[in-house]
Amino acid sequence: MVPHILLVEDNAFVIGALRLLLEETGHRVSDARSVAAAARVLLDDPPDVVLLDLTLGNEDGLTLMSSIDVGRGPLPIVVALTGHDDVATVERCTAAGCRAVLVKPIAPLKLKGQIAEWLGGRVVA
Amino acid sequence: MTRVYMDDTSAERLNSLQEQNLELSRLIAELRNEAALRTQFLSNISHDLRTPLTAIITHGEILRDGILGELTSRQKESVSGIIGGGRQLLEMIGEILTYARGAAHQLTLARTEFSIESAVEQVCALNESLIAKKKLDLAVAIEPDLPVLYADRDKIAHILGNLLGNAIDFTLPGGRVWIRCSRAASTERSHVLLIEVGDTGIGIAPEHHELVFREFAQVDASASRQHHGTGLGLAIARKFVELHDGRLWVESALGTGSRFFFTLPVRSAP
Repeated sequence: MVPHILLVEDNAFVIGALRLLLEETGHRVSDARSVAAAARVLLDDPPDVVLLDLTLGNEDGLTLMSSIDVGRGPLPIVVALTGHDDVATVERCTAAGCRAVLVKPIAPLKLKGQIAEWLGGRVVA
Repeated sequence: MTRVYMDDTSAERLNSLQEQNLELSRLIAELRNEAALRTQFLSNISHDLRTPLTAIITHGEILRDGILGELTSRQKESVSGIIGGGRQLLEMIGEILTYARGAAHQLTLARTEFSIESAVEQVCALNESLIAKKKLDLAVAIEPDLPVLYADRDKIAHILGNLLGNAIDFTLPGGRVWIRCSRAASTERSHVLLIEVGDTGIGIAPEHHELVFREFAQVDASASRQHHGTGLGLAIARKFVELHDGRLWVESALGTGSRFFFTLPVRSAP
């Protein structure tokens, strides 16, 4: 099964770049530009990995974490995307349940490798 | 209880002083509010500038890494130029934002325990390729058994990175750069570390020693200078050192290289 990645990001150019990268490297991609839109994808078409931008307009991306339903099948791996990986940001993301914090712009080959590593340890939905 | 009786003139002066105090308090609050608004504005602008740059760099790296097919070496060179320029812009935007936060007294320290040696190693590793490219000789000397720091690791690495970056930029190929860490002063209860970042580069005239720490300062505009920055690097480094209650200064003369020093009082973790 092709891994499904949900991109939660509010900038069309960034979505375009990451979608191109992820599709070219063998993933199925959905995108959402707000927390509400991302929560709908989580319900309707659960992804294997969520790449979550911390700043979505005036919204805090991490508020999405409360929409992840622990009762429904395998939990998606959530990875925060941010401009800064200072200690406070990393702590906030880890406390919210993120698997990792990646600083944008993420090196394409590194992201590809990390996704394979995260998915390696679990059965893809 | 002691009663103080005032004549009319004294009462008037007291009233006037109280009014002036109120006015001053109002002005201070207004200035603080303006500083906070300015920082918020810079923070928003910074995010808005970074986001499309992120897209540009990612597209460049997708092409460079051959994800859409192999490029010729000339095509790779051109795409690498786009990525390099983009990354330099990102760094400059980051510096402007950090400076604005510092100016508005909004910088805080996230203290953790670490050794100065690990921070030095991290910064040296990041600069390895630049040092090799300029054929510089880098020497690191760390006094054994230095106390563990309880400080903001990101900010200490930023200071070291800035000083080492300048040393590399301002030293001609074949020159020497070094980092030394030692105890500056120790009593039974307190320790202060002294960190030196030095080079055999172009040096700084004594009359410019303070100028280099001022924001947007440009001491040397000569064509030989291969430095690209916002002019905020040393102002930020000094701010970070002062946040740790340390001091940052330079000893140098034209043509004799530069030695930047900073002190770090060692605190113990609570």
